[in-house]
Order: sequence, then structure tokens, then C-alpha cells
Amino acid sequence: MADDGSASNRRDPIKSSVGHVAGQRRRQQAVTVAKERRELLVRAKRLCRVGTSGDVEDALVENEMMIDEEQPILEAQAIKSVEELKSAVQYQGKGAMQKRVTALRELRRILSKSEFPPVEAALSAGAIPLLVQCLSFGSPDEQLLESAWCLTNIAAGKPEETKALLPALPLLIAHLGEKSSAPVAEQCAWAIGNVAGEGEDLRNVLLSQGALPSLARMIFPDKGSTVRTAAWALSNLIKGPESKAAAQLVKVDGILDAILRHLKKTDEETATEIAWIIVYLSALSDIATSMLLKGGILHLLIERLANSYSLQLLIPVLRSVGNFVAVDPKAILTILIREQNTEESIIGVLAKCLRSEHRVLKKEAAWVLSNIAAGSIEQKRMIHSTEVMPLLLRLLSTSPFDIRKEVAYVLGNLCVESAEGDRKPGIIQEHLVSIVRGGCLPGFIELVRSPDIEAARLGLQFIELVLRGMPNGEGPKLVEGEDGIDAMERFQFHENEELRVMANSLVDKYFGEDYGIDE
Amino acid sequence: MATGMAVDTVGELGFPYWNPIRRRFPPDSPFFASGNVERELLAKQVTLDFTEDEINHLHKFVEIETRRISCPIVGCPERLKSLDHFEDHYNARHTASCSVCSRVYPTSRLLSIHISEAHDSFFQAKVSRGYDMYECLVEGCGLKFKTYKARHRHLIDKHKFPTTFEFFKKTQLSKKRREKLQRQHVSKLKHEEDKEAASSDAMEVEDKGSLDGLVSALSSLTTSDTTPSNVSFGRRHGRGLTFVPRSVHREKRTESSSAPGPTN
Repeated sequence: MADDGSASNRRDPIKSSVGHVAGQRRRQQAVTVAKERRELLVRAKRLCRVGTSGDVEDALVENEMMIDEEQPILEAQAIKSVEELKSAVQYQGKGAMQKRVTALRELRRILSKSEFPPVEAALSAGAIPLLVQCLSFGSPDEQLLESAWCLTNIAAGKPEETKALLPALPLLIAHLGEKSSAPVAEQCAWAIGNVAGEGEDLRNVLLSQGALPSLARMIFPDKGSTVRTAAWALSNLIKGPESKAAAQLVKVDGILDAILRHLKKTDEETATEIAWIIVYLSALSDIATSMLLKGGILHLLIERLANSYSLQLLIPVLRSVGNFVAVDPKAILTILIREQNTEESIIGVLAKCLRSEHRVLKKEAAWVLSNIAAGSIEQKRMIHSTEVMPLLLRLLSTSPFDIRKEVAYVLGNLCVESAEGDRKPGIIQEHLVSIVRGGCLPGFIELVRSPDIEAARLGLQFIELVLRGMPNGEGPKLVEGEDGIDAMERFQFHENEELRVMANSLVDKYFGEDYGIDE
Repeated sequence: MATGMAVDTVGELGFPYWNPIRRRFPPDSPFFASGNVERELLAKQVTLDFTEDEINHLHKFVEIETRRISCPIVGCPERLKSLDHFEDHYNARHTASCSVCSRVYPTSRLLSIHISEAHDSFFQAKVSRGYDMYECLVEGCGLKFKTYKARHRHLIDKHKFPTTFEFFKKTQLSKKRREKLQRQHVSKLKHEEDKEAASSDAMEVEDKGSLDGLVSALSSLTTSDTTPSNVSFGRRHGRGLTFVPRSVHREKRTESSSAPGPTN
């Protein structure tokens, strides 16, 4: 089963060690995915199945992957293993070190076998103090590694389990230092990443204990899995919503250059984690935003968007672009002008995202476009004159709701000048006409019918544009033709007063007593 | 209304015109939730060996959990699982349509109030004899009023309805919608009575008959001003069968000295 001894890919041994029966049963269980499992999967923590030292040998000794029914067995093993670790730690005689490492290794294996490691059992048997002891300074690398690995997986699950790592944090952080061997530092970073992923309280503890500078230093090298793991941990640490961690990171000397360097050159997996750091920096730190923009980050992000097909990478890169555009629209003007309509233009890559099959990319790309479309008239023209338009119109009729809402923002923004003062914002008739002729009305009226207040409001606002702005008074007929009056009359008994008033005022004004008088 | 340059009466009512603004979201905004979830799922995909089924289930789970939809119709407590569920719910519960004039109401109670007030000669008779016939539209309030206007005032004052609210709106459904509703209604009736009676042809005739009866009762109530030149059931063209209760007419006449125009 696990005989692929020469597997060069560290991940393979785990996959090939999945027994056929266990695999089958898991697939049957797939239909009834437990709530617990879903929560686990959606958490910002990561279980470590294969250690950082890349020792394939370890993984080969794995048995069949455990399934839930065997949980009691696993728990019993965990308790026994902790007991053995306890006696190994107490033992002072010859071969003490080897005893400790063996005991640690056994515990680590038990904690790595299953998606639901027997953490609670291990904790109640008193694992933490022992593991902390094994992290003491001067301990051999193997010992540090195994101990940090155990702690990593203890911290990968429930909140109270992660919190149990508190006593271990100072030592874990200390072993991030430059004197530590790379695998040890990486494993400690992993554990810290899980702790940071738990919540703001733990993040604050880590920050107060000086985790940030040490982690930051670990992403300076050009490559290596350590860079990737540290970047991931760092992204968990600065995600906020408070901005102080992000602010602290910006102050690390040379960090922004390192980030730009990695964004430009490094492999996609590492670039993914770096991109998440950029997401949080651009959302939480104005200083970082302006410095990164000056450093030419937009161009690098667009390059990645153009050349990559990895959804994992595209999501944070796209979102970073979105954050930059939302904050500083002037910055993108230079990009727009320089590279209009090439595959590597910002509009081009956004079009690529709109064409993608991935929901998140479509939605967030539309969001970015809506912000560009909220800019100057040149920016609106730039969008309006490209291949993006038919894409948007199609998405408005066919895509899931959250995407349609964002597309609606783009289309509406394209038709209206930004208001100055209190005056009614002017309609850009050329754009309105072409978009309406492109068949957008049914989509907007559909939004009017939706139970989502924001969407209904958008729909009504767009209908107002059509009623007011279409030439030769065509607006009312067009709206009626698409059952718009009916959609608006729904609001008479809607619980939202603003929408009721909006709909009523439109119907009163444009479909009042004299409507149809010429027929 | 035929011209493109409309006067700014809408502006006076405070219509929030479309104004392009940039939207910025904090990193923990629900806007980014699905992207964040995707990140974590993709990251674990390698170590945990998901099947495609599992991935689909996980996505569905996340979507369902984050989007329970509350029905926005006043007084309706339903919370629906998805947009499709909402549409089904809305069509099942909130589209009671009047068989005479095709107006649509979100509850059967409101529909029956409408039918009494707009199409029932007995109702009008009692009104003219001074009874409090106009019920408050808010379920549970229980108050009744002698006139349409009085009830209207009550809705605004007591229940905060907007001043522009008109239970009996003078505008009509779009032609397409009216025809659609008519077809729906006729086929619904057919379907119901199929259980008892024989052929659907007979049903159609009976239908038409009973509705014709209503229509003629209708025309006997209206003044010559308001009788449309052709009473064609089911096809309302232009200013066809808009019925305004006589009582409203009367009030209008007394309130304004201008000619009692039929308000179609």
C-alpha cells in the first residue's frame, strides 16, 4: 500500500496510503458531510500531515487513513503515547534523548493520521507541558521538530484546543530565530500560523510576544518552503480587522521590496501566500498601499493575472487589485492609458476573470470594474469600448445573483457622470442607449424583483435612468415592455419604506394618468 | 410624460438617483466571504484528498448558510433558503390576482378587501348608507372607516404608509402581465373545477358567464362618464376597465369644483 518508497513528491505517500476500503467509505460519507468537518475545512488553520523536513520515510509508516468510527482507538493511542512521553521526559539516563524523540514521534504520528486528530484526549492527558519542555533551548533539532509538529496539529482544530498552545508560544516564537535550522523554524511558523488563524485575541498575544518581526524575516530568502509557510503564517497574523499588525509589518526594513520581488518571480504557491499579505496590507495600511503602488505593484499583479491559471493565486491577486483601485483610482489611470486593450491591460485581465468559470473571480472582477467605472469619463469610455461589454451583458442575464449585482453596478456606473454637489448626476446617453439596446433591462428588472434590498434599490435606480434618459421618451415603453411596471407595483406592500416610496414615485411620475394617452 | 425631459417632481420627493461611487470593503466584510472560504478549501484540498462531490457539497453548504432570505412583503415571516425558493414562495403566496381587473395583491386578505371595495355592489350600498366599510389594510388593526380617504389617512398617520401609497392604484399592469395573469387564472380555475365537472369547454363558458355577470354589475354601477366604450373581458386596452369606487368620485366632486373627470 505504501510502497512507493521512491516518491519524490512529498504529498504522494499520503495519497497512496489511503486504503481502498477506507477511501470508499469516505466517499460514501461524502454525501453527508458533517457540520463539524465543514467548519474544520473552512477554518484558517492547516493540519500538518507531512513534516517540514521532507522526510519521506516518516510518511511511509502510515497505516490506512483513519475514519471517524475508529476515533476511540485513536484516542486511546493518544493517551498511551502521552504517558510514554511523560516517562521519557522524566528519564535521565543513557539514551534519554532517543527515548524522547521516539515518544514524540509516536505522538506526532497519532496526531497526523486523521482529519480529526485525538487532540482532546492528548490535552487531557497533559501533552502541552511535556511538549513545552521538549522545546527548551539547546534541544536537538529532531526533538524540536517533532514537538513543534505535535503542537501544530493540536492547534489546527477547535478554538479551545488552539488556545491551549498559549504556554508554548514564547518558545515557538524564539525558535523562529535565524539560528534555528530551516525545518524547525518552518514547523514553528506553521504552529504559529494556526494560532494566528484562530482569532484576534490570539493574534494580539502573538504580536505582543514579538512574533511579527521574526516571521517577517523568514520571507527574505529567494525561495524555499520556509518562505511559503512563513508568508502564510504572516498573512494570518496581519489579517485584522485591526490595522496595527499591518502597520507594524510595513515598518520592517526591506519587507515591501521582498514582497515585490516574490510577486514578480517566485513560484505560484509562494506567490499565493504573498498575495494574501498584499491583500491585507492594501486593505489595512495606507502607507503600504502608497509605497507598493510606487514600487510598481499594479503592473506585477496584472502580469500574474494575465499569466496564471491557478485559482488559488488569482483570488488574492485580483482582490489586491480591487483594493488598490478602490483606494487610489488615480494610480490605475497610468496603467489604463499605457496598456489599453492589450492582453496585459487591466481591462484585459479583468475580462479574463469575467470569462472564468469561477464564481469568486467573476464577482470580484465585476467589483473592480465597477470602481473603475465610477471614475472619470475617460475611464468609463475605456471600459465601454472594449470586449468587456458583451461579457457583462451576458453575465447580467445568466449568472448567479451575487455576480449579477456587481455587474449591475458596473453598467449603471458607466451610464452616469459622477455628481457634483447636490445636482442630479448627469446621464451619459450614449452609454445608456447602447447598454439598454444590448438587452440589459430584463436583468435589472429581475433585480427589482429580488428580495435583496440593495439589489432592488439598484434596479429601481437604473429604471429611473432609463425612464429619464432614453431619447424620444422611449423609456416608459421599454420598461413596460419588460414587465417593469408590474415589478414596481410589487413594492406597494414591501416592508421597506424607501423602496416603496421610490417605486411609487416612479410609477406615479412616468405611468400616471396620462400614460398611454397617445395610443 | 411622453417627452424625455421630465420635470423634477421626482427630485422633490427625494428619489435617490444613481450616483457612481467607489465601494471599498474591509477584509472581513461578508463581500469577501466566499473568496476566503475558497482559499481555505483549496489549501486543504491537497492534504485531505477531496472528491469533486465533496467540494461541491462544501460550496453549497457555505452558500446556503450565508444567504437565508427574509421575505420582504409586509407581515410575512418566511425565511427562504435560496433565491429560487423565494421566487416559488412569492408566486405561491403573494400573487393573489383579481379575476375581474387582474390586479395583484400579496395576500388573499388584501385581495378580498379589494374585491369588496372595487367590484361589489353590496359593499357600495352599505357605504352609501353610512356604514364603516373601509377596513384598515394592516392585519390585526381592525379599524374601519366610512370613506376610502379616511382609511388612507389612517394608514399614513397610524401605520406610516408613504403618502404616495394608493391601495387602489389608478395605473395598470402592463398588457403582457395582465394577459399572463388572465391565462394563469383561467387555467387555475379550469384545473380546480376539472375535479368535479366534465369538460373544460363547459368550464370556460361557465367562467365567462359568471364573470360576465360581474362585468354587467360593474357597468350598472358606473356613471356614463366612466363606462368604457368596449367592455372586453381579459384584454384591457389603454384606459379600459379601471374602476374607481363611486364613493371616491363623490368625494372628489365635493372637494374640488372642477369637472368630475373619470380618472382612468
